[in-house]
Amino acid sequence: MNALKKLFGGDTRQFGMIFALVALIVLFQWLTGGITLTPGNVINLFNGNSYILILAIGMVLVIIAGHIDLSVGSVAAFVGMMVAITMRDWNLPWYLAILLGLGLGAVIGAWQGWWTAYVGIPAFIVTLAGMLIFRGAQQFVGQSNSIPVPREFQYIGAGYLPEVGPDTGFNNLTLLLGLAGVAFVVFSEVRRRRMAKALGAEVSETWVSILRLVLICGAILYATYLFATGRPGTSFPIPGLILAVLVLIYGFISSKTVVGRHVYAVGGNRHAAELSGVKSKKINFLVMMNMSIIAGLAGMIFVARSTSAGPSDGTGWELDAIAAVFIGGAAVTGGVGTVIGSIVGGLVMAVLNNGLQLLSVGADWQSMIKGLVLLVAVAIDVYNKSQGRASIIGLMMKNFNRPSSGPGTPLQPDEVTSTRETISREA
Amino acid sequence: MRMFGKAGKAAAVAAIAALALTGCGRSEPSNSGGGASGGAGGFPQDSAIGVALPKKTSENWVLAEKLFNDGLSSAGFKPTVQFANNGVAEQQNQISAMIAKGAKVVIVGALDGSQLGTQLKQAKDAGATVIAYDRLLLNTENVDYYVAYDNFKVGQLQGQALLDGMKAKKPSGPYNVELLAGSPDDANAKVFFDGAMSVLKAKIDDGTLKVLSGQTTFEKAVTQDWKAENAQRRMDTILTGSYGTESLDGVLSPNDTLARAVLTSVKAAGKPLPVVTGQDSEVESVKSILAGEQYSTINKDTRKLVEHAITMVKDLQAGKKPEVNDDKSYNNGNKVVPAYLLEPVIVTAANVKTAYKGDPVLEPIIK
Amino acid sequence: MTSQTTQTDPIILEMRSITKEFPGVKALDNVSLRVKAGEIHAICGENGAGKSTLMKVLSGVYPYGSYDGDIVYQGQVQQFRDIRASEHAGIVIIHQELALIPELSIMENIFLGNEPTKRGVIDWAEARLRSLDLLARVGLRDDPDTPIKEIGVGKQQLVEIAKALNKSVKILILDEPTAALNESDSQHLLDLMLGLKAKGITSIIISHKLNEIEQIADSITIIRDGKSIETLDVKADGVDEDRIIKGMVGRTLESRFPDHTPKIGEVFFEVKDWTVGHPQIQDRLVCKNSSFFVRRGEIVGFAGLMGAGRTELARSVFGRSYGHFVSGQIYINGKEVTLKSVHQAIDAGLGYVTEDRKSLGLNLLDDIKTTTVSANLEKISKRSVVDTNQEFAVAEQYRRSLRTKAPSVQEGVAKLSGGNQQKVVLAKWMFTDPDLLILDEPTRGIDVGAKYEIYGIIQELANQGKGVIVISSELPELLGLSDRIYTIFEGAITGVLNKEEASQESLMKLMTSTTRKVA
Repeated sequence: MNALKKLFGGDTRQFGMIFALVALIVLFQWLTGGITLTPGNVINLFNGNSYILILAIGMVLVIIAGHIDLSVGSVAAFVGMMVAITMRDWNLPWYLAILLGLGLGAVIGAWQGWWTAYVGIPAFIVTLAGMLIFRGAQQFVGQSNSIPVPREFQYIGAGYLPEVGPDTGFNNLTLLLGLAGVAFVVFSEVRRRRMAKALGAEVSETWVSILRLVLICGAILYATYLFATGRPGTSFPIPGLILAVLVLIYGFISSKTVVGRHVYAVGGNRHAAELSGVKSKKINFLVMMNMSIIAGLAGMIFVARSTSAGPSDGTGWELDAIAAVFIGGAAVTGGVGTVIGSIVGGLVMAVLNNGLQLLSVGADWQSMIKGLVLLVAVAIDVYNKSQGRASIIGLMMKNFNRPSSGPGTPLQPDEVTSTRETISREA
Repeated sequence: MRMFGKAGKAAAVAAIAALALTGCGRSEPSNSGGGASGGAGGFPQDSAIGVALPKKTSENWVLAEKLFNDGLSSAGFKPTVQFANNGVAEQQNQISAMIAKGAKVVIVGALDGSQLGTQLKQAKDAGATVIAYDRLLLNTENVDYYVAYDNFKVGQLQGQALLDGMKAKKPSGPYNVELLAGSPDDANAKVFFDGAMSVLKAKIDDGTLKVLSGQTTFEKAVTQDWKAENAQRRMDTILTGSYGTESLDGVLSPNDTLARAVLTSVKAAGKPLPVVTGQDSEVESVKSILAGEQYSTINKDTRKLVEHAITMVKDLQAGKKPEVNDDKSYNNGNKVVPAYLLEPVIVTAANVKTAYKGDPVLEPIIK
Repeated sequence: MTSQTTQTDPIILEMRSITKEFPGVKALDNVSLRVKAGEIHAICGENGAGKSTLMKVLSGVYPYGSYDGDIVYQGQVQQFRDIRASEHAGIVIIHQELALIPELSIMENIFLGNEPTKRGVIDWAEARLRSLDLLARVGLRDDPDTPIKEIGVGKQQLVEIAKALNKSVKILILDEPTAALNESDSQHLLDLMLGLKAKGITSIIISHKLNEIEQIADSITIIRDGKSIETLDVKADGVDEDRIIKGMVGRTLESRFPDHTPKIGEVFFEVKDWTVGHPQIQDRLVCKNSSFFVRRGEIVGFAGLMGAGRTELARSVFGRSYGHFVSGQIYINGKEVTLKSVHQAIDAGLGYVTEDRKSLGLNLLDDIKTTTVSANLEKISKRSVVDTNQEFAVAEQYRRSLRTKAPSVQEGVAKLSGGNQQKVVLAKWMFTDPDLLILDEPTRGIDVGAKYEIYGIIQELANQGKGVIVISSELPELLGLSDRIYTIFEGAITGVLNKEEASQESLMKLMTSTTRKVA
């Protein structure tokens, strides 16, 4: 167990979620008699949930900054409808329509960001209003009708990579993507180790790195295999590709850029951030604006997949996205959360949905099960925090842990007492 | 996979390349079964059959779920019957899951008939036959059959019943009426409304019927999600707004749930009950007709509809072409869908005693 | 609870060999405590020594069974399951963070959870009578209907005690009761404790203010590193502050301030006629025509009572981060500058270490390295992308040079002790390389050993030619550290004294105004 912890770095919370996800997949694979991990089904899984996962990316930033956005479903529906209408009535080509959709998302986001950041109205209220405003606007412009979108546009929501190159028995582009993924993972691990060594920081043992690489690359390769061997004409789906690109971009922004740091700082302690020179209003504005742009994108992807924009698009999406973010380890109070965690949280929900559907479990039961999963996931987190433990994994590892897991050097007295102080303070 | 360390990257690439090269040839896309011709070869008796139903909002859908499960199981099939209570996205995923499970026939009672294109194509690519149940699937070539009650006829019957009912109460006009339509995302809602308006439009134009709220178009009359609360709220507003002193003689309601919502609203306003139409023969509404409150409903026996859908599945299983009785009327925007239409029956207090003979649920009530 | 109260036994409470473990840490190791009936018993120890944990064991926050050892109270072994059980037995704890509800009145707070009822309905007349009596006993003359949020922290503390008295308290535990109080409120509270003692109530007090302990305590138990070191009888043993410090740190501190020879240069920072309005209340000024200057290499002290406007002055100068600006000029190196935002202030070479570390100074969710670079991310970023390797290197460098005690720079700041947290905050501002660093209560809540180190850091900054402003409520600290001290009263600067001419008396006189409008 200690080895497992090392394998996934110090973040046991994240590891717990990945563990749960894998366990869930294995469980459903067994219960459904092997249907869960078939090419067709994993493609469905990504196609049918990518828009929620994309929303979760924007939502986690909003929640890290200490806000919430209830309007994403309505904004997504409104943007989707506007894009559908402009393509039908103005004969706008699909690429211009997508740009228009993103622009519209930005304008809506600027509107909500302005109220939240500069007027100082809580985002809960601003976006509750937005939820009503943009739902109404969507039904107004769409006349409560369903409006079909052209085939080229459908590509972003239901498209696949083309079949190119020699007949290898696989979808070649999917293979290349998988290989690129593996190369990227290996390269960054090697680079990380080299840097850590150069800086004199703690470097995990070689076997740990290798085992981690084997596991991650194995997972990537297996997924690649599944996606590349689907029915001819299918591949890693386009919405999944968009999702992957967004995860990379936002993962990078949130962890490696100044703006990303400032988002965490504002959410963690706004006053402290302001007194360190962070422009918290600007950060809040950007976060809210970004959310609406992403909502617009999610709306367009959904419309593309549905082949038309309908009057009830986007209902309840905000809740799915928020649930994904919280299952993924974000804190209601802000300052905590990761993009990748939210994606894992969203995937837990998606696999649960998909598995229950494959098992022909009714929507009523699904809803109850999902509700309980959300509650239990967050409850375990809260319980463990109140017990001074990191997470459920910490609980599992209790008996395996040495009193202090510090790296070699014996602890100074003051360090011991400081830990004690923290614990007694927290409890 | 024991190749990490310095040359890890290169080794990984090489290994995958090798894996890729040894893979078997990727077959060309085949014209897999199904097709508009309708399952020429048939399929095994114990195949999976998917039934995707919309939201669980009325008794008929609940009944349909049971009938599909029982009927398909007893015929030896493996049915999966699911409701999409959480919206279109859920229905999309359900249909995808049914295909993943290898369903040979997918029966779709669509939540929004125009938003399932991608999944229907998926079904077709996987070789499944698609039957639109009760609601037509729009803007797609990937639908093979349509089985439903004649919904335009339903609307006409409702319109006529409204006129007859008011005439019986008050021999001559003008009559004050209000119009309700169903949910805009249900393709049938507009058909019902148009059917009714084909009877009522002339009377509105010549002044026999007056719509005091002025809301006479489908867009203004819609009831989002077929929800009773939405209809009731709209009626409350109209009653306070336009019927302070005027009396309300009749309300065109597209189904029973909404009809009862209208009656609740009128009672709350303390007005005499108007003539209210309905549809679906829900238990509460049949009781209401017996009690002299709701004027009419439509008997679209769900058992017959499900029975015919199952017959179609059996025909497809045996490799036969299912029976249709209308291959001209139902153009979904991409193709004319061959349809089998069942005749609806209007039920009022006059024939309520005889209309539900043999219905296990409703027969005890009319006794 | 116990029927056979033995009045003859002078020991009302004995905690025997208490051991409390958290996963991986022994917070209390065989701690013993004997409290005599009717005495004031002080518990001393550095931050993190285990004082609060011990009190939580006593008051049932950590229930019976979660610790080893016995609590013997009034001659019987107790098994408190929760706070209610200990309160029922007459042991009431008043925490550092007051447990009052700001929107409710004094009276409602006193009777919260303990409302006098008549047939299930709250009997407000009875409550009012009893609260008037209780308030008189603690010396509070406010109307019981006054909302808590409208009275000061000092009075809130008294309300807490009144609330405890209402529960017929036998042992009153006060955790850092005077930490947030000014001199006169503190004195009032100490007097009250002596008064309660005269009425036979036993008190246990936890405090960092050794002078106060020396003043009121009958005996002192010293805890160090989770172990009880010794119990001193104040009168018999002739205990003084140095004796207590020796017990707390395990050695005698030769000097409380490091040696320092100032190298003072020319004036480089000057504020003139600085006037700032209250952020909410119109027409109320928190700074009035204040002028001051700082020279290179100089440590300038700001003395004033709580609420005199020291923090307000500092924060309004620091990029107008408090109140609304009315008038005034700032000159840096002789040139007038306008600093409208914190960002501009930092760019102009200012740094400000906040008074309230946890709510204003730190993001407790961050680790050491993120905190260290958080005020100067640009320096380690290229095209807005943070170089995490450099971040690590910078944080590591400060961890070593400031001797921050932490296993690594990846440690969360929430896990550090107060002194080490303050070092991280100092590192954060040192990394912005400010010309003028303003330190607001830099040693509050920090134990003696760490204070000494922080003084050293401050002096080192001055040696590098930076200007340092130190705001502090502790006059000895200002006297020991500063080259020059300004005094503030009611938002105005009332005087400035050089190191040589300043004394506690001379400062106090200026801090309570030259005009003496208010007592």
